[in-house]
Amino acid sequence: MNDNDICLNNRCIIDITGISKTYRLGKVDVVALRHVDLKILEGEFIAIMGPSGSGKSTLMNILGCLDTPDGGTYLLENTDVSKLGDSRLAEIRNKKIGFVFQTFNLLSRSNAISNIELPLIYSKKLAGKSRKQKIFESLDAVGLKGWEKHKPSELSGGQRQRVAIARALVNDPAIILADEPTGNLDSVTGEEIMAIFQGLNRHGKTILIVTHELDIAKHTDKIIYLRDGLIFNVEKVQNPVDANHMLKTMPRLEDKVRGA
Amino acid sequence: MRRFLESVKIAFQSLSANKLRAFLTMLGIIIGVGAVVAMMSIGYGAQESVLSSVQDIGSNLIIVTPGNQDEEQQGFERMLGEDKDRESLSVEDAELIEKEAKLLNGAAPAILNSAIATYLNKNTRVSIYASSEKAETIYNFKVDRGRFYTKSDVKNASNVALIGQTVINKIFGKIDPIGKIIKIDGKNFTVIGTIEPKGTDQFGNDQDNSITIPITTAQQKLYGIDYVNMIIAQSISEDDMGQATAEIERILRKAHNLRPGQSNDFTVRNQTQLVDILGTITNIFTITISSIAGIALLVGGIGIMNIMLVSVTERTREIGIRKAVGAKNRDILLQFLTESVVLSITGGIMGIVFAVTVSLILNRFTILTTSITSFPIILALSFSTVVGLFFGIYPAMRASRLNPIEALRYE
Repeated sequence: MNDNDICLNNRCIIDITGISKTYRLGKVDVVALRHVDLKILEGEFIAIMGPSGSGKSTLMNILGCLDTPDGGTYLLENTDVSKLGDSRLAEIRNKKIGFVFQTFNLLSRSNAISNIELPLIYSKKLAGKSRKQKIFESLDAVGLKGWEKHKPSELSGGQRQRVAIARALVNDPAIILADEPTGNLDSVTGEEIMAIFQGLNRHGKTILIVTHELDIAKHTDKIIYLRDGLIFNVEKVQNPVDANHMLKTMPRLEDKVRGA
Repeated sequence: MRRFLESVKIAFQSLSANKLRAFLTMLGIIIGVGAVVAMMSIGYGAQESVLSSVQDIGSNLIIVTPGNQDEEQQGFERMLGEDKDRESLSVEDAELIEKEAKLLNGAAPAILNSAIATYLNKNTRVSIYASSEKAETIYNFKVDRGRFYTKSDVKNASNVALIGQTVINKIFGKIDPIGKIIKIDGKNFTVIGTIEPKGTDQFGNDQDNSITIPITTAQQKLYGIDYVNMIIAQSISEDDMGQATAEIERILRKAHNLRPGQSNDFTVRNQTQLVDILGTITNIFTITISSIAGIALLVGGIGIMNIMLVSVTERTREIGIRKAVGAKNRDILLQFLTESVVLSITGGIMGIVFAVTVSLILNRFTILTTSITSFPIILALSFSTVVGLFFGIYPAMRASRLNPIEALRYE
């Protein structure tokens, strides 16, 4: 009941109750999620942790409206999305969810601008100048000004992930879902990406990341531990790591070169 | 509209990522469409030039030829050379038709042959057109200088001739031919006039390389025969053509003493029938070419389908990404469908450009006359659009039905 009170007082972005999901692999049923309740409030920065097979990805897919649960309800900004059809789900993904993936998932033949523009093409609302402006705002927010004409192959890993974050931001989604966003990056670049997330969060963005690195999870406000398809612990992070501060203390490549 | 342009732009972008492949895929369509449009332009050109040369001969003409061409047996016998009907028409028949028919302007007998024409030491092979004085009006001989042969020339079998421009150039050069004596197959003829140039006919024959002489002179002095190759009659008006044809048939049957039930020993055709026959020939030509081209387009379409299926597999991840950021199944379907249609229409346009170029070159450098009309172009474009849609729909549906989670995981 305590949770419900919070939901009344603050804006509740995600409210799932009793979500379950079972996959059928051949003749064996694999239970991915047993009975998950979770509430995410506006402005929260949450990490989901858990060993592989714990149901992280399934939960992420359901939260991201890429998949629908077998049971339970999922309210996204007070709309029940647990039983919507493909077409409506696509619309929800487009308008309310921003994805960031471990492997970036950019269109390799398109430059940064075209990649960031992608959600706008399918939302059909902005056109011409206002669309351009929106794209550049996103680019600016991730610190990629000047790289807009570059294709993914001409960008570093960190820069690619920034393009992906800018793409996630461009439609002003209710929540950003990041699946192992630093998994393919070295520690310094990973830290830079976390700094961007923290900055966005400070400006009010709701962010959920999935990670298996505790160091990364400690940048968030709350860590949710998942095991065998169940939430078994929720832990408030007492003093979240400040990524910008960390970056100052971390040895840079040029420092190393100078030291040697 | 904006969304449509946007999807066309996206289609061009993804196609240009693999230009050679796109071009090779289009090649089937290019060849198919190019073949249809080029062949149809040649067909139309042939039809037009045949029609115009049929009209050139004169208008409202009815042509009577010896032998019964409506009976296959006759044609077969004629091939064996056993046919007496070859000699069934005479100058008298033409005169009789002229005298008795009420719906005709006139009738002229004709003998067509070739001969050697000589002036002084120069000679050349020419075609001979022997007829009566009526030919001037019926067969559209326009006298350039001098005069046409008269009724009395025909009656007396005078050795007079009118010569065409090519003959003048070949054997006279700059000399004025009027009044000069030439030899036609060794016989002396006086040149009494020249004929206005007519140019080449649809088969590339030079119509000006000809000499016309009185038919009686040809029969008695050149060939020693008493029959004619054909009789050309002209009806008063186009509407009377059918009746005039029947009239000629009646007159000739009576003159040839044919009993009821006995078949004609001659064939009467009018220009409308000739045009119809030509139309049938060109139609057969067009249908044949179109079906060949249709097969080419079908093969081209299968090529498009093949490449689109490969493309869908290759771009599974892209489809996943697009779906994750909000593309609906319909958006993906349209994207891939647009791509295949853009592929086939671009191929179609390239095919048309190719065909138009070929047709212009043929027109300019060969004796073929070609005619480019909008019909085959519109036909080709709509056909290639249909091909793109038809062969694109299955790959596009496959793309649109991909599961986004699996598509994103695809390596």
